[in-house]
Amino acid sequence: MKRRSIVALSLVVVLAAALTAATSGATKKAAANSITVWLQVDAQSGWPDIVAAANKQFQADHAGTTVNVQYQNWGDHLQKFDATLAGGGGADVIEMGNTEMTKYMAAGAFAPLDKSAFENSANWLKGLAASGKFGGKVYGVPYYAGSRVVTYRSDLFKKAGISKLPATTAEYAADAKRLAAKSSKKGFSPLYIAGTDWYVAMSFVFDYGGGIATQVSGKWKGLLDSPKSIAGLTAYKNFFNATSHASKTTDETHPNPYDVYAQGGAASMIGPSWFTCCVGAKFKGTTAQFVMPGHVKGQAIPGFLGGSDLAVPVNSSNKALATEWIKDFTSTASEKALQAKGNIPNATNLLGSSVNERAASRSWFVPTAKHWVDVENGNVLRNMLAQILSGKLSIPQAAASASDNIASVLNQS
Amino acid sequence: MLESSSNAAAGTLLGSSRRRRRFGARALQGAVPYALILPVLAVIAVILGYPLYWLVKLSTERYGLFELIRHQGVSVGLDNYRSVLHDQVFWRTLLRTVVFTAANVTLTMVLGMLIALLLVRVSAVVRVLLSSGLVLVWAMPVVVAVQVWYWMTNFENGVVNYVLTQLHLGDFFQHDWYVTTFSQLSLVTLLIVWGALPFVVITLYAGLAQVPPDLVEAAEVDGARPWRIFRDITLPILRPILLILTSLSIIWDFGVFTQPYLLIGQSKITTGNYLMSIYLFEEGYFKSDFGRGAAISILMLLIVALLSVVYVRKMVRMGEAPT
Repeated sequence: MKRRSIVALSLVVVLAAALTAATSGATKKAAANSITVWLQVDAQSGWPDIVAAANKQFQADHAGTTVNVQYQNWGDHLQKFDATLAGGGGADVIEMGNTEMTKYMAAGAFAPLDKSAFENSANWLKGLAASGKFGGKVYGVPYYAGSRVVTYRSDLFKKAGISKLPATTAEYAADAKRLAAKSSKKGFSPLYIAGTDWYVAMSFVFDYGGGIATQVSGKWKGLLDSPKSIAGLTAYKNFFNATSHASKTTDETHPNPYDVYAQGGAASMIGPSWFTCCVGAKFKGTTAQFVMPGHVKGQAIPGFLGGSDLAVPVNSSNKALATEWIKDFTSTASEKALQAKGNIPNATNLLGSSVNERAASRSWFVPTAKHWVDVENGNVLRNMLAQILSGKLSIPQAAASASDNIASVLNQS
Repeated sequence: MLESSSNAAAGTLLGSSRRRRRFGARALQGAVPYALILPVLAVIAVILGYPLYWLVKLSTERYGLFELIRHQGVSVGLDNYRSVLHDQVFWRTLLRTVVFTAANVTLTMVLGMLIALLLVRVSAVVRVLLSSGLVLVWAMPVVVAVQVWYWMTNFENGVVNYVLTQLHLGDFFQHDWYVTTFSQLSLVTLLIVWGALPFVVITLYAGLAQVPPDLVEAAEVDGARPWRIFRDITLPILRPILLILTSLSIIWDFGVFTQPYLLIGQSKITTGNYLMSIYLFEEGYFKSDFGRGAAISILMLLIVALLSVVYVRKMVRMGEAPT
């Protein structure tokens, strides 16, 4: 009796282990006249109407086709993409961040595209077009770009007696003091910056003439421990302490800065210009934007030029239709609509003079290395910032360790 | 194996057809139990053996994004294992995970035992309340539970900070629970133990029902104190259940992924707070180095086997001992 129950229990152990090990996956074959599009949630929350318009145009041109748009998250879309590269059943069109392209192009994950098929392709934004090109072939179609701007509450600025918008970071820090003095809310941030928002922190590094990494005779060398970078990181730490009450360890999506702002927890925030979408009905009327100043008067702080490309995975079974859809989604009309939402359109001939486009006048970009995406995913920069802000390590220590780490990741074969 | 040995036996017995027939019948009879477990073996081979075969094969190949797209790996022998075993991060992660697992399993078992003992003593109404509470915890999906814990410990407006401040335990306004690795993993431990308790408590409670009351009474008459009764009567009777629960907990907690990954959050995961499963995930998936990932998972499998072998051996020995 006892023996039998023990045998039964052992079986339970084995089965439980087996269940833990087993994973499930399902793949689906797409119908011949249907395409699957993977866009990031930004489109879902910011411009679903533009997606719908492109779908409508596409379906008008190709009767009987269906477009299945699936929204993805930046955090895990590459894992999902890897899975579909192995197992099939994935997207026919995929949105990729411009910093993510290189690794995948190098591995041959995308189908080459004929550049001339797309509107305004002769005038594509240089930075974005470069991120979609590898070995002389075009794999990514620029979708849109975005710089980071300050979104602020003009009513609070007025109440604090700030008649002129800050022209330098030092002025901004002084204004922050006045804004904080006028607020009775505990934990109020005159300028909300998430502690590990490396896009903001690196802007300071570049503003002081520093950098992340550079290539010296074919090998990557970390630059964060250079005196100029350390000056930038020091300026960031001081600026953060003067302006932000955000967590020193959190990233810029936990919570979303606009949620803090909409709850009255901040007088201003740094982020993509579409942040105005979500500031809440209460503050909509008093919300405005300006270009984040640098430490030198009259110069904007260099901003990260983020952007997205659209690509066709090499295992798509509908490459021709996929290309057609990209054409519709990046048409002049579509790009103009994206611009109206506060984005930077994909071509120079469409550029205007919005705050977003002006902020892009000085910009920086990540090292264009095959393994850069591993640095991002490995949170090397975020970890460094958390260490610096929480005081766990001194700035030179944290910067040196991050710099070594970055160089070793980028120099992998 | 059975087939080949019976073939060999049949060969030596070719001379006598009568004996052969009798032998054949006996062999057939002997084969019946094996035939009966054949379907189970087949299922296990398909759902466990086949993936395991691929895992082992993958672990000896260079298999990155480039190879993934072409569905063709490059054999590199034991290079993946060598690279993992020479990785300092691996050893630090292993140590961290062993300590983490020990803390989780100990807490789960001790608290589980205490609550199960409590459950025996309380009135029927309280018992129903307590066990329904436990079942509710059990019924909560892990991801939902993580989200609730995340909200409770939130920096901006988490209820934990609020309550601790209201209780005058100090100023916890905007206290950041995720600053150090220790506090990150402590939160994960709390969450895991909280989620693991119901299963342990209910199983142990069922086991406690097996303790004969007259035995306890007799011990009491002989003047045994509660601790003595627990040590010499309750514990020996519960031992098989405790062993199973402990080895299961070790397997679960050593390989736990969902709670730490989601609660700490992807953007806070660094080599400094890796647990084994996260190390595997980051190395294998995030870096698209699937061959190395496979090698790590095989090493993990071996480590778990090693960790639980003591318990399994004891379990088997107990099964063989006459009762």
